[in-house]
Amino acid sequence: MIWLALKTMRHEKVRLAITLTGIIFSTVLTLMQVSMYLGMMGNATSIIRNTDADIWIASRNVQNFDFAYPFSEEKLNRVRAYHDVLRADRLIMTWGFLKLADGGQDQVQIIGFNPDSGVGAPWSMVYGRPEDVKGGRYMIMDKTSEKRLGELRIGTLWELGGRKFKLVGLSNGIKSFTTAPIIFTSYEQAQQFQGFIKADQTSYIVAKVRDREKVRDREKVRDIVNDLKANMKDNDIYTKDDFGFKTVMYWTIQTGIGLGYFLTASLGLIVGGAIVGQTVYVNTMEHLREYGTLKALGARNSEIYQVIFSQVGISALIGFTSGSGIILALRSGVEKAGVSLYLSPALFLSIFVIVLGTCLLSAYFSVKKIRTLDPMTVFRA
Amino acid sequence: MNTVLEVKDVNMFYGSGDNKIVAVDSASLAVKRHELLLIMGPSGSGKTTLLSIMGCILYPNSGQVIIKGQVVIGSNQATGNPDRILPHIRKGNFGFVFQSFNLFPFLNAAENVEFVLRIKGHNRGKIRQEALGLLKKVGLENRAGAYPSDLSGGQKQRVAFARALAGDPPIILADEPTASLDSKTGLEVLGLLKLLAEEYGKAIVIVSHDPKAKAFAHRVVYIEDGRIRS
Ligand SMILES: Nc1ncnc2c1ncn2[C@@H]1O[C@H](COP(=O)(O)OP(=O)(O)O)[C@@H](O)[C@H]1O
Ligand SMILES: [Mg+2]
Repeated sequence: MIWLALKTMRHEKVRLAITLTGIIFSTVLTLMQVSMYLGMMGNATSIIRNTDADIWIASRNVQNFDFAYPFSEEKLNRVRAYHDVLRADRLIMTWGFLKLADGGQDQVQIIGFNPDSGVGAPWSMVYGRPEDVKGGRYMIMDKTSEKRLGELRIGTLWELGGRKFKLVGLSNGIKSFTTAPIIFTSYEQAQQFQGFIKADQTSYIVAKVRDREKVRDREKVRDIVNDLKANMKDNDIYTKDDFGFKTVMYWTIQTGIGLGYFLTASLGLIVGGAIVGQTVYVNTMEHLREYGTLKALGARNSEIYQVIFSQVGISALIGFTSGSGIILALRSGVEKAGVSLYLSPALFLSIFVIVLGTCLLSAYFSVKKIRTLDPMTVFRA
Repeated sequence: MNTVLEVKDVNMFYGSGDNKIVAVDSASLAVKRHELLLIMGPSGSGKTTLLSIMGCILYPNSGQVIIKGQVVIGSNQATGNPDRILPHIRKGNFGFVFQSFNLFPFLNAAENVEFVLRIKGHNRGKIRQEALGLLKKVGLENRAGAYPSDLSGGQKQRVAFARALAGDPPIILADEPTASLDSKTGLEVLGLLKLLAEEYGKAIVIVSHDPKAKAFAHRVVYIEDGRIRS
């Protein structure tokens, strides 16, 4: 019956073009929205995901990674005291002002990590090594900040929070949700940014749990988290995944960003689905006599549904492929403009399933029409 | 014993109460192989309704339809959901010809025949040859690639015959097959139907109010207000 579907589609070229336009519209809009959303959430959680730690200890009521409140670094010892904790490090996440060449200033996000352990260090280095920040006012910046800060040349001095820092390394692709440039420096230097953080404070303590049988990994981490929760009432304790989730939920729900993306993507699907459903229905109505003839000649309803679903399915495949092509073609331009897109085979597959599902659903009225079609209509002149 | 299709005491009405229309009233009929049976009657007399019941397209209110000795409608035993069984019976036993041809506009002559062969589950590799063979039977072998819009009325009806013959069903039912044709073409088409009955052993039932058809029929029955008079 795919055969008959293909013949119909070839016969109805204008309608096919309208159907494909609808599907391409849906695909582009949905893929764009979802990949932008995932890209933003990827940025929001990038440091959490790329830091080699199982447990995150933050101040009480932390909402997300970027909004950390400082607390006493002394608590590090309490965490290290756990036998099952392999190591624990301090990690600072604070804000500062970077003086620009034109005399202006830009607000930046400063990550202070331990260069000896490398925990919390930048991970995608294109120049230099993370440990180069050790022993002085050294910093690592990210290539993606060049759009905002101008060319980043190794060895240049920048005024950060009133002090001169030397640029010793470059990473690439490390961005924050807030879009403020990220600067990595040593923990000791970051602690000097008076005003927001004090000299004996940290933003996070991140801990790695000692190696053990894989199966019990999660359980063990949970046990320690629960124990820490009981012992450190002034802090919030999360597993890595939970802190990532908390951060994602904050940006998604609290800010309404998630709803915006969700509504736009849904609207894309609904509009596309309506276009497809409408053209398929008109097509079905126009060929009702032929479908009735099929019925009279002994075709089962399910065989006729196959004709309709094949039409829709083939359209969905062609439209989705074209729409994906458009997204891939736009990708580098969009990313150059500073927007992160998260695109993966799994995402393409999921969106295809959703687009296909929407298209098949949109054929509902056509199928209903066929089901109740009286084959006697074929005798009418 | 040559009877392939029989209806017994078939009743069909539409609507209810004051609006009740008796379309077929206790009709009984049989048709044999090699026979062309003509059903005549004025417009609205119930011809199409009766033909639909004979062709297992319409389920009657009462009565029996018997194909090759087997009661397919109206048997006392429960036979299951008619929506599932009737398509199967139609597929195996009937070819249909309609007044307005009902060809797929986006399929050419050969493809219009092919798709019925597909529905009937014929071997994919052979249906093209089979379709061309059937078109040859109706004298259209050189128009196999033509689309319905490029065919004359008579040619379209011939394609419809080839389609009705697809899968070699024993019975062919034709509702007003000449009504959309001019009288010369109508005569040709009737001649072809008679040939199909005599040469190929089909049982053919034609419903018509065209008096010319009488000359081609082996037997004529008249229907009025749903009742058959012989
Ligand atoms: N689906 C239907 N609903 C109601 N009445 C119908 C329907 N089909 C046919 N009829 C009525 O049944 C009678 C017989 O119709 P039909 O079998 O089409 O006659 P014919 O083919 O001889 O013109 C007519 O009065 C017609 O109006
Ligand atoms: Mg009629």
